[in-house]
Amino acid sequence: MRAYQGIAFRAAYLLTGSAADAEDAVQVGFVKAWGALGRFRRGAEFRPWLLRIVVNEAHNRRRSAQRRESLAMRAAFADASGDAVPSPEAATLDREGRQALVDAVNRLDERDRDVLACRYFLELSERETAAVLGVRHGTVKSRTARALERLRTEVGE
Amino acid sequence: MTELEQRLISLGRALDVPEAPDVASRVLAEIGEARTPLRRGRRLVLALAALALASLLAALAIPDARSALLRFLQIGGARIELVDDLPEVAGPAELEFVLGKRVSLVEARDEAGFDLLSLDEDPDAVFLGDRGTVWFLYGTPEAVRLLVSQTPGVRIDEPFVLKKLATSGTRVEGASVRGSPAYFLSGEPHVVMLLDELGQEIPESLRLARDVLVWEERGRTVRLEGDLTLDEALEVADSMR
Repeated sequence: MRAYQGIAFRAAYLLTGSAADAEDAVQVGFVKAWGALGRFRRGAEFRPWLLRIVVNEAHNRRRSAQRRESLAMRAAFADASGDAVPSPEAATLDREGRQALVDAVNRLDERDRDVLACRYFLELSERETAAVLGVRHGTVKSRTARALERLRTEVGE
Repeated sequence: MTELEQRLISLGRALDVPEAPDVASRVLAEIGEARTPLRRGRRLVLALAALALASLLAALAIPDARSALLRFLQIGGARIELVDDLPEVAGPAELEFVLGKRVSLVEARDEAGFDLLSLDEDPDAVFLGDRGTVWFLYGTPEAVRLLVSQTPGVRIDEPFVLKKLATSGTRVEGASVRGSPAYFLSGEPHVVMLLDELGQEIPESLRLARDVLVWEERGRTVRLEGDLTLDEALEVADSMR
């Protein structure tokens, strides 16, 4: 359980934009998963199964609070100013560029944002993303391609 | 990987996500509590039972809570909840994604695991969904004429397969199909969502539904959705064999 709490919290935080909601989603999700272990399909992958339960909790919290606009993106960026050497990530995208990309992602609809968050912000595989979002593998492929296309339009590429 | 994808990954790594709290310890402690020896466990069960009874009695004493408790209907694997406000629905459902794997009618009959009821007219598309549901689609996913679902029975310890949320703008009428009780929902669209094997809503499946006749027959839950009056829906239902 400890091995998964980091990514579970990150996923829930990115979806709710609230540390308190994310913490609740992880805690409730873990307890539900424990209770449902008997129904865990043998041979299935555990991590996406657990993440799906937590992500559903996070979705419910976001929906009940009607914070549909959120996604992760309320999250502030790590301030790299104190670093002696800029991280590779910081070097790849400057603050202004990152904010523009955040704004563009936020203009996408919920389905597009969710698939991009899973694939690129949580760095899940297509198969894991399919399990977490409760859709088929082919759907993740087509939806990711479509979301990237829309994002390209949004950022003016 | 394209340059845009690399930028997204860089962006994700640069997001300032707070450190994860040690939720696992709390959960493990909670689970540990539940697994304490029998004597303590019995006390816990009795205490919880007393608490549940007290909560129920308290709830029944409050009119609003009582109506909230009573405002649901259940038929087969479907649960209809009457609510004050519908949740927001992101947009039109992408039915071809929501309904499941596209199969032929023959494959659906082979894989369903139960005898499918059929209409006189073959469907334009057939989908095999989660939890054994078979969907017949008449029309196209963008312009649905009629949508028929058949779901095998759920065990008493299993969660519902689908949940409907309706406001007072949706009329719910009792009816009967071949002697089995049925409900007809009409008027304002209601929200329908599918539940996974844990009983959790599948966010992808959330969509607005139109007029629906739902009944349970021979251990399966059958659902007809379309722009139909009650009489028309009953006529279609009676023609199904």
